Amino acid sequence: MARFLLKRIAGLFAVLLVMSLIVFVLQSIIPADPARALAGPNAPEEVVAGLRETLGLNDPVLMQYGDYLSRLMHGDLGTSVRTRQPVVADIAAYAPASLELMLAALLLGCAIGTLVAVVQHLVRRSGVVRALLLALGSVPIFLSALLLVWLFWFQLDWLPGGGRIGIRRFEGPTGFMVLDGVLLGRLDVIASAIRHLALPALALAIPIAVSLARSIGSALATTMQQPFIQMARGKGLTEGRILVRHAARNSAAGPLAMVGLQVGLLFANLLIVERIFAWPGLGLYTVQAFAASDLPAVLGVSLAFGAFYIAVNIVIDLAQAALDPRVTLG
Amino acid sequence: MTGLISRMDGLERGAIVVLGLITLAAIAAPWITPEDPFIRVAEAYLPPSGKHLFGTDEIGRDLLSRVILGIQLTWLPGLAIIVISLCIGALVGLLAGALGGWVDMGLSRLTDLFLVLPSTLIALAVVAALGPGLVNTMIAIVIFWWPWYARITRAEIVAQAARPHVEAARLAGVGGVRLLWRYLLPGAMPALLVTATLDVANVVLVLSLFSFLGLGLPSPAPELGAMTARTLDNLTVQWWLPILPATVIMVLCLAANLAGDGLRSSLRGV
Repeated sequence: MARFLLKRIAGLFAVLLVMSLIVFVLQSIIPADPARALAGPNAPEEVVAGLRETLGLNDPVLMQYGDYLSRLMHGDLGTSVRTRQPVVADIAAYAPASLELMLAALLLGCAIGTLVAVVQHLVRRSGVVRALLLALGSVPIFLSALLLVWLFWFQLDWLPGGGRIGIRRFEGPTGFMVLDGVLLGRLDVIASAIRHLALPALALAIPIAVSLARSIGSALATTMQQPFIQMARGKGLTEGRILVRHAARNSAAGPLAMVGLQVGLLFANLLIVERIFAWPGLGLYTVQAFAASDLPAVLGVSLAFGAFYIAVNIVIDLAQAALDPRVTLG
Repeated sequence: MTGLISRMDGLERGAIVVLGLITLAAIAAPWITPEDPFIRVAEAYLPPSGKHLFGTDEIGRDLLSRVILGIQLTWLPGLAIIVISLCIGALVGLLAGALGGWVDMGLSRLTDLFLVLPSTLIALAVVAALGPGLVNTMIAIVIFWWPWYARITRAEIVAQAARPHVEAARLAGVGGVRLLWRYLLPGAMPALLVTATLDVANVVLVLSLFSFLGLGLPSPAPELGAMTARTLDNLTVQWWLPILPATVIMVLCLAANLAGDGLRSSLRGV
């Protein structure tokens, strides 16, 4: 078990290292001269040359990458061209909003996906559900987000379609609105935060739910062919009990891996959903950074999100190992 | 091939026909638009009507014409990405599967590495660094699309190499490139084609995502995702401006998904 985990964690850190290498290469292939950019267009050549030396731009590339890595270790992602703040400070300011949204989306997506798969299995009208999943899987995320805004905000006015909270100048200790509401014991904050979360989280949850439902569906179909399920049926157990007690754990590995994969795709969708719902998180920050060609910010957020992706996948590995002891033998 | 089509049901056969029609329309787009997509032809913000099926946009251009050209700018790059990725992936997989040994080791590790990286994330970073544009977007997507085909090809090649017909060919003195090309690669084609067809929808979705984020072609070009992004604020009053281009993307993806699904289920019987 411990060896399996160490191996997986080491592998994931290798991925982070490769990501840092890619980001480093991307930073160095841009044609702009960072020393010239820092010194200004009218600075004399000697000043620029001096800056190049202090910035380490004349060092061998490998040494520059080493410097870059050591700065990364110290939490230095450079300075944003747009906000003039350290990228790390910007990320820390915007991350809670995005984390809250992504967590809500993941929970919602897993719940809906599991529900759909189980319903599909129990009602045995898989053709209808399959067609529905195929159709939902073809919808671009900005279309589903816009339709949600149009229906639930403009037409029905049930849920708000922009921002995080309807209470002015509310600031909590953690930046997670729902958690802040709980900590401060303010029901109005909790209610408002959840109502604001609902639509963007649902928009993000749809693609997760679709792929999870498909994955659970095919895993269940395989598990249900196994002899031990026939045995359980032969004992006269109900279909629901067979699902919960016998099939669920044995079908979990594939769908769990699918959740890990979806987290990698979540980021791109996050950019779009935060843009449409004016959600003040990392996605919106990145969209604005794109617009301003703010490369340090874009690359910094990419790395931060890569680290998040890896953290989630370590948790998923743990869950897989806990649910299915066979996993650790591989 | 005709045997395959005959095994599909009506809806899936229809999807293949639609797929062909979309491709034809995408190629012929500049000649079949009812109006010039780049100039003002009527009043701005006309709702959909018999004269302008999709209405007109903020400066009075015919939205249907712009969407038809937009299909070209989404569909053809999407197909190109698939074909290029397929070629790279098949080549890498073929080399790894056929040569074995340390070549296989190296190429397989490389493929695995690309598969575990959060691909859209890095693709976004790549486009941000290279600068926006359709070609840069295509490069960034291809970089992360080929490994899937490489993995599939390698697995199929390894499985094929143990089959009797390959053994027979080898004993008959067939070797080298001819063995790869005539005996091993054809066996891998069905699996590759199914994956590629199912991937068309995914690539179109990713492309439209990049376009929505403003990483595709600059402003006057009618990219479907960018058209939606630029008219987000019109949703309440001129709903057709953001909704119709996005709906067309959905129709493209649905047709591709249905066709891919049909191809997969009819190949399963082979």
